[in-house]
Amino acid sequence: MAADIGIRGQAVRCEDLSRTFTSPAGSIAAVDATDVTFAAGQTTALVGPSGCGKSTLLRLIAGLEAPTTGTVRIGDETPAQTCQRGALAVAFQDASLLPWRTLRGNIALALTLARRPADPDRVDRLIAKVGLQGFEDRRPAELSGGMRQRAAIARCLVGDPELLLLDEPFGAVDELTRRRLNYELPKLWQANGTTALLVTHSVTEAVLVADRVLVMSPRPGRIVADIDIDLPQPRTRGLESETAFRTLTATVAEALMDIAPPRQFAAQ
Amino acid sequence: MTAGVLRHRQAAWGQGGARALAIVAVLALWELAARANADSFVLAGPVEVARYLWQNAPLLTRALGATLQSAAWGFVWGNLAAILLAVAVVLIPRAERVVAALALIVFCLPLVATGPILRVLFGQGNGPQITLAALAVYYTTFLPLVVGLRAVPQSWLDLIRSHGRGRMTQLIHVRAPASFPYLIAGLQIAAPAAILGAMVGEFTGAERGLGVLTIRAMRALDVDATWAIATLAAGVSILAYGGFGALVRRLRVESPAVLLTPPDHRHRRPPWRRLADIGVIVAIALVLWQATMDLFDLNPFFAKRPGDVVAFLLTGPDAAAHRATLFAAYGETLVFTLPGYLAGLALGAGLACGVVLMPGLATTALPLSVALRSVPIVATAPLIVLALGRGAVGTITIVTVMIFFPTLVACLQGLRQTPGQIIDIFDTYASGRWRLLRLARVPAMLPAFFASARMAVPAAILAVTTAEWLATGNGIGSLMALTASTSDYNMLWSAIVLVALTAALAYGAVAWIEAQVLAVYAMEQTVRR
Repeated sequence: MAADIGIRGQAVRCEDLSRTFTSPAGSIAAVDATDVTFAAGQTTALVGPSGCGKSTLLRLIAGLEAPTTGTVRIGDETPAQTCQRGALAVAFQDASLLPWRTLRGNIALALTLARRPADPDRVDRLIAKVGLQGFEDRRPAELSGGMRQRAAIARCLVGDPELLLLDEPFGAVDELTRRRLNYELPKLWQANGTTALLVTHSVTEAVLVADRVLVMSPRPGRIVADIDIDLPQPRTRGLESETAFRTLTATVAEALMDIAPPRQFAAQ
Repeated sequence: MTAGVLRHRQAAWGQGGARALAIVAVLALWELAARANADSFVLAGPVEVARYLWQNAPLLTRALGATLQSAAWGFVWGNLAAILLAVAVVLIPRAERVVAALALIVFCLPLVATGPILRVLFGQGNGPQITLAALAVYYTTFLPLVVGLRAVPQSWLDLIRSHGRGRMTQLIHVRAPASFPYLIAGLQIAAPAAILGAMVGEFTGAERGLGVLTIRAMRALDVDATWAIATLAAGVSILAYGGFGALVRRLRVESPAVLLTPPDHRHRRPPWRRLADIGVIVAIALVLWQATMDLFDLNPFFAKRPGDVVAFLLTGPDAAAHRATLFAAYGETLVFTLPGYLAGLALGAGLACGVVLMPGLATTALPLSVALRSVPIVATAPLIVLALGRGAVGTITIVTVMIFFPTLVACLQGLRQTPGQIIDIFDTYASGRWRLLRLARVPAMLPAFFASARMAVPAAILAVTTAEWLATGNGIGSLMALTASTSDYNMLWSAIVLVALTAALAYGAVAWIEAQVLAVYAMEQTVRR
C-alpha cells in the first residue's frame, strides 16, 4: 500500500539488541536480546506496561542510548549517521518546545539543527498543516497542551525525516484532545511514506494509528506479541465502532494481560 | 481599566506606601538614637550625615566615581571569568570537580591579605581594586550559572542530540538561553559585591576612593564622616542591587526558584576516593601557584612559593616560633568567627520563620532585608566597631550581621517554596500555623538555608578578617595587616594558605551536612542532570 505513494522512509533492523542498566541495587535488562525489523514506510506501535523498556528501545534506535550488545541499522546506516544527516526526528512526551522561542522559532530550530537553510514558507506551511495557523508568533506558554504537541509534531516533520520516533507524544494531553490528534496527525507522516515508531500506553491509540503493534514485556524487556493491523490508512472517524477495530483492540489487550503481573500482585 | 487591574494598582500603591513609611520610621529611629547618644561619639544621625554629605559633596563625588569605576571593571572581569568557568564545567563535565574546587579555594583567599600583595605587584593605580572586585564577584555568579546551565529538561538536550549535534550546539541553543535568569540573579548579587571588593582594594593604599576616605575617617575618629561614607556606600550598593532588580522586572525574567543546588551525593564514592580527590586538587592548586609565580617571574621577595611557606612553617630554623604566632592569631579569629556564624544563621532562619507566622510583616521585612543584604560589610564594620567597641562583641556582631541578611532573604524565599497543595492539605485538617511551619514549611526551607549556610562560610571569614584588620587589632586579620606593613611576606602567605584552607574545608563540611540532611528532606533536589 505504501509502494504506490513512494516510500522515502528507511527500514530499521535491530539485531540481538540489549541494554542493561546497572545500579547499586542490581542490574536490569531494559531491552534484552531483541531481534526486530520495522518495515520502511510503516507506522509501528510499541505497547507495554510502564518500565517494560519500550522507551529504551526507542532511544537505542534514536542513538540517544548506546546498546550493551547488538546493533541497530537504519537502512544501511548507524543511528549516529542518520542523525548526522538530519533524517531522524524524535517527539517526546512533554512537547519539549523551548520556552523563549516562538512557535515559528521552535519549528525553524529543527532546520537550523539539521544545518539546512532557513525556509520560512515551509515552516508556515507545516504550522498550517498541524492546524496552528494564527499562532505563529505565540510562545509555548501561551499554547494549550494539545497545541504544543501539534507543534512538536510539526517540528519533527519540517525536516522531512526518513524515520520518526514518537515517545508517548500524546501521553500528557487529555483524552478528547488525544483522540483528535490520533486521527489528524498520523496522516501527515504516513502520506510521505515516513517510517514511524510510536511508543504508547494506550491500546486504542496503538490500533488507531499503527500498521503493526508490538507488545513488550518487562524485565527482561522483550517483544512478546506481533500483531498486524490490517485496517486501511488513513484512519477515519467512526473506525472505533467497527468490529474489525474492536477485535484487534481486544487481541492487543489480551496480549498485554498475558504478561506476568508484577511479583507483589502475583500471590493474590 | 478593569476592577482587577485597579485593585492591583491600589495594592501596589499600598505596598509602596508601607515601604516609604518603613523608611521614614527607620530614619526617625536613627535620628532619635543619635540625639540620645549625642555625647558618646558613636552615632551620627541622618541630619549630621546629610550635612556632611552636602558640605563635602565634591570630594565624595570624586571618591565615589573612582570606587565605582574600579567596581565596574572588576564586575566585568569577574563575571566574564565566571561565565567562562561555568561554560568550561558544562562542556567538560570531567573537569567539574577540579574547576569547582579551585574556584572555591581562590574565592576563599582572604581579600585583606591578597590586597596588600596585589598592591606591591601592581604598584599605584587601580589594579588591586579591580582585581579584588573581580575576586569578590566571580564565585557568586559562577555557582548559579552552573545550576542554570544544567537545569534543563533532558528531552531538550536529546532533541539536539537526535539531530546529530553535540555539546556546543546544546550550549548555544538550549543551555545558554535557559540559564539567562540564573545569570541575571548572579549579576544582581555581584553588583554590590563588586563595590565591596573595590573598597577593600582601596584600603591597601589607593590614592582615591571611598575606601581611602573610610580609613582616614576611622583613624581621625571622625564620627560624622564615618557614618556619612558608610551611608553613601550602602546607598550606592542598594541602588546597584535594586537597579538589577528593576532590570529583571523590565525584561520579565522569571526568577529561578533554586539558585544553588545541594552538592551531588548521588554517586556515593568510597572515602579513599574522596581523599584521593582532595589530594589531587591540593596538588593541582600547588602546581598552579608555583607555575603562576614562575611564569610571570614574580619577585620572590613578596611573591612566595609553596616551598617558602613549607620552609617557614615546617622545616625552617624558627618554624616552631612561626607556627606558634600564626596559630595563636588563628585561634583568636576562630573564637570570634564561629559564634558569629552560628548566630547569623540562627537569627536569619529564626526571623524568616517569625515573618511567616506574622504574614503582615513579610511585605515590609523582605524588601528591607533585601536592601540591607546588599550593604557591604566594609561600610557597616566601622559603624559597629564605633558602637560596640574593638572587643569580642563588636567582631562577633560584624560576622553575625554579615551572615544574617543573606540567610534571612534565602530562608524567606525558601519558605515560599512550600507547595500550595501541601498547605491546602494542612488547612483541611485545620492545623495551626506552628504545625504547618514545623512539618511543612521548615523542611521546604532547608535547601535554601543550607545553600546560604555554605556561602556564608567565606563571607564570615571575609567579615572577621576585615574587622580585625580595620579595627580590633586581634586575630589573623590583624596579623595579616601587620605582616603586610612590615613586609613579612612569609608570614602573610602562610596566613593566606591557612585561612583559605580553613574556609574551603569548612565549606566542604557544611556541604557534607547539607547532603545528609537533604537526602532525607528534599530528595528531589539532590538529583542532578
